Amino acid sequence: MNGWMGRIVTVDLGSGRQEELPVSDEMRRRYLGGRGLGVRLYSDLCPQPPDPLAPENAILFMAGPLTGTVMTSGRFQVVSRSPLTGTICDSSSGGSFGAALKSAGLDGLVIRGRAERPVYLVVSHGQVEMRDAAGIWGLDTQRTQKALQERAGAKASVACIGPAGENRVLFAAILNDRDRAAGRGGLGAVMGAKNLKAVVAAGDRATAIADPVGYKEMSLRLDRAVDKNPVTGKSLQVLGTSVLVNIVNAHGMFPTENFRRGVFNDAEGISGEKIAESLLQRQSACYKCPIGCGRTTRTRNKSGEGPEYETVWAFGAHLGVSDLSAIAEANYACNELGLDTITMGSTIGCAMELCECGAWDAGLRWGDAGRLTGWVEDTAYVRGVGADLALGSKRLAAKHGRPELAMQVKGMEIPAYDPRGAQGMALAYATSSRGGCHMRAYMIMPEILGHPVFLDRFSTAGKPEIVALFQDIAAVVDSLVLCRFLQFAVGISTLSEMLRTVTGLDIGDEELLRVGRRINTLERLYNLRAGFTRADDTLPPRFRNEEFQTGSSRHRVVRLEEMLDRYYAVRGWDPQGRPTAATLAELGLQDGRRG
Amino acid sequence: MIDLDRQTLARMIDHTELSAHSGEKKIANLCSEARTFGFYAVCVNGGFVRYAVEKLAGSPVVVCSVVGFPLGACTSAAKAFEAREAVANGAGEIDMVISVGALREKRLDFVRDDIRSVVEASGPALVKVILETCFLTDEEIVAGCELSVQAGAKFVKTSTGFGAFGAFPDHIRLMRKTVGPDIGVKASGGIRNFKDAWRLIRAGASRLGVSASVAIVEGLSLYRFAPDAWLEEEIPCHFCPSRFASIDKQPKAVYAYYKKKCLPCPHLETFNRFYE
Repeated sequence: MNGWMGRIVTVDLGSGRQEELPVSDEMRRRYLGGRGLGVRLYSDLCPQPPDPLAPENAILFMAGPLTGTVMTSGRFQVVSRSPLTGTICDSSSGGSFGAALKSAGLDGLVIRGRAERPVYLVVSHGQVEMRDAAGIWGLDTQRTQKALQERAGAKASVACIGPAGENRVLFAAILNDRDRAAGRGGLGAVMGAKNLKAVVAAGDRATAIADPVGYKEMSLRLDRAVDKNPVTGKSLQVLGTSVLVNIVNAHGMFPTENFRRGVFNDAEGISGEKIAESLLQRQSACYKCPIGCGRTTRTRNKSGEGPEYETVWAFGAHLGVSDLSAIAEANYACNELGLDTITMGSTIGCAMELCECGAWDAGLRWGDAGRLTGWVEDTAYVRGVGADLALGSKRLAAKHGRPELAMQVKGMEIPAYDPRGAQGMALAYATSSRGGCHMRAYMIMPEILGHPVFLDRFSTAGKPEIVALFQDIAAVVDSLVLCRFLQFAVGISTLSEMLRTVTGLDIGDEELLRVGRRINTLERLYNLRAGFTRADDTLPPRFRNEEFQTGSSRHRVVRLEEMLDRYYAVRGWDPQGRPTAATLAELGLQDGRRG
Repeated sequence: MIDLDRQTLARMIDHTELSAHSGEKKIANLCSEARTFGFYAVCVNGGFVRYAVEKLAGSPVVVCSVVGFPLGACTSAAKAFEAREAVANGAGEIDMVISVGALREKRLDFVRDDIRSVVEASGPALVKVILETCFLTDEEIVAGCELSVQAGAKFVKTSTGFGAFGAFPDHIRLMRKTVGPDIGVKASGGIRNFKDAWRLIRAGASRLGVSASVAIVEGLSLYRFAPDAWLEEEIPCHFCPSRFASIDKQPKAVYAYYKKKCLPCPHLETFNRFYE
């Protein structure tokens, strides 16, 4: 088999039983791998949405057909039901774990049940072995990885949880290859609830290529495209993702103090330029990645990876903090303890506003850089104020009687682009299948960065069509399991060419986009079964009612109602957001169990 | 509405690599992309013509070479020599740069003879004349087009990509109006995506000189979705040469010419209101 390894294994941690999960060629063609195939398999395995932290829930580690081949293909996707949002959720991580999983002989690993005692799994030669994790339970992610690599060899790649996952913090992350994180959605807590500390993968199996000559030519073209593109070939390499700080701030949509302002006066002091000048030790890159957006940094006290743009914002402008070292150290703590930096920072911001308005007397104050790392540690160990912060912003704000102060969609915190400054991004947040996420349709590309063209960011015209298109492309990239930054340099035709040369599957652009649409619709079906409705496709009232008074996004609010009906129509969903019978038939999803 | 298919668009593109730091590896990639996507030509510096011809052997892709590039300020004999050598090495098309200074000084006979010497030296190869519109007023652009046609060139072209700015629809419209339907108009410089390309094609361009060719062709497949939204032109200033006029990069008189056109323009208020 070209591209895929042709083997997905299911492990029940309770009984220790393993079996191979058969996947037909047709299913691979329809869902590819990674997110798409993961969501489809999850829907089959858990048709009725289970409690995310119960043994019945499944968690899938998925590689894709291109994993281990072209540039940026070391990634993997984790799929499960999110304890933070209750939606179906996939979380993506870079590094090389995906490539290691595949070279160990698997396209995917499905984990069910709950182990009686802490365990970890070792994947090699297509087999999975369950081992006792007593000696590593309680360690942070860095020590865990080091300990397991000492046992399995330096070439092994480890995906693990830290204390936050063990303590089932609802936004616990899974860390791999030192500091790469499957951060969003709290799937680290799902692992913790299963008493699963880590998955270790190592092997030497190579992925077979269907058309080696075409593959070589396509790879050269890809090199050139990435090199020529100013974002992938220059900005991200020189300044990392934090290159966005000054750009987004200049657009008046850099969320400041829990989204109450769109301009952070100290943005320059936390920008990518400032990181390069003060903290940067060296550039770092994932498996086979020529872009190298990662930053290895050092403060006076510690060194580590990051912070990247979203984290700079979450612990910086969002909290009124301009101390770059404090931001970096809070980021290191999140990586070590296994927490999603976006939700962590956003929840602290929500807590600060709760304290300011008197709804919660916990002493969190804007700009208090000195206590950031302490709050992160308290959250991971669910102690002191951390016991409340560990709830995430939605539950925290509701608990203290001010639900409107949580800046979230479906329970997932909105990241570092204020939707009042980009109407398409607003619609993307509202309709994302996993909640307030910028990666489901990165509308910042056309609305702020002008790729593939500049769109009027304040206009709603045509945005439903373009958001749906971007969501479909994102689903394809996540299912091929590549880095989203490639989208700056190549289009759908190159993605389809990559798939053809590696796997021999020549399905063309049109069909590839239909795969994306099918995946988004399947996720929608699952969320409908989990109880989500049109009423959940919305944004907090702040974005719909309150205008900024300064900055270039002032006097703007989100006009979601102008876009939502049209978005549903474009998707082939009824006015309540339910896929119609005709849409299900067109996408081959008419199976009632999944619908 | 976009009445253009992918193949037709590709056949309008001269896939270009003219940077000083390009080596054979980049030219090989350029040729590979041209074959794969079906571009009309590759446009390279004279030193790579033979190499590109070898790489494209057996394909319909034409090799185009630049002459007097990018300043156009060398002698006519030097331009003619360059052209002759490029054609001998297999170039099917020649993109020459006019003597911009002479045109601005209205030494029209010199300019015409300069172009004619390249046309004659190029033999069967088609000659395109680069006017470098960023350094010219509208009147000078019209004169440059007329002289090109009189000298036997088959195409007029906007820019080298090394000047103050590249191709704009206003200039393309003016050039098309001047040369009529039988002479080609090539837009080049600053064309980064399908929207840029489409705007120039609608204005009358029959050929595009671009290095972002793959992105442009791939872009077309995206535009089928919500073309109205993708192609919405909210502020004309975004593609007006007056907006891009630069005192640093243009002769003072040319800069003043474009800025003078900007002030009474009704779009200026829209632009200012949007960015206030």
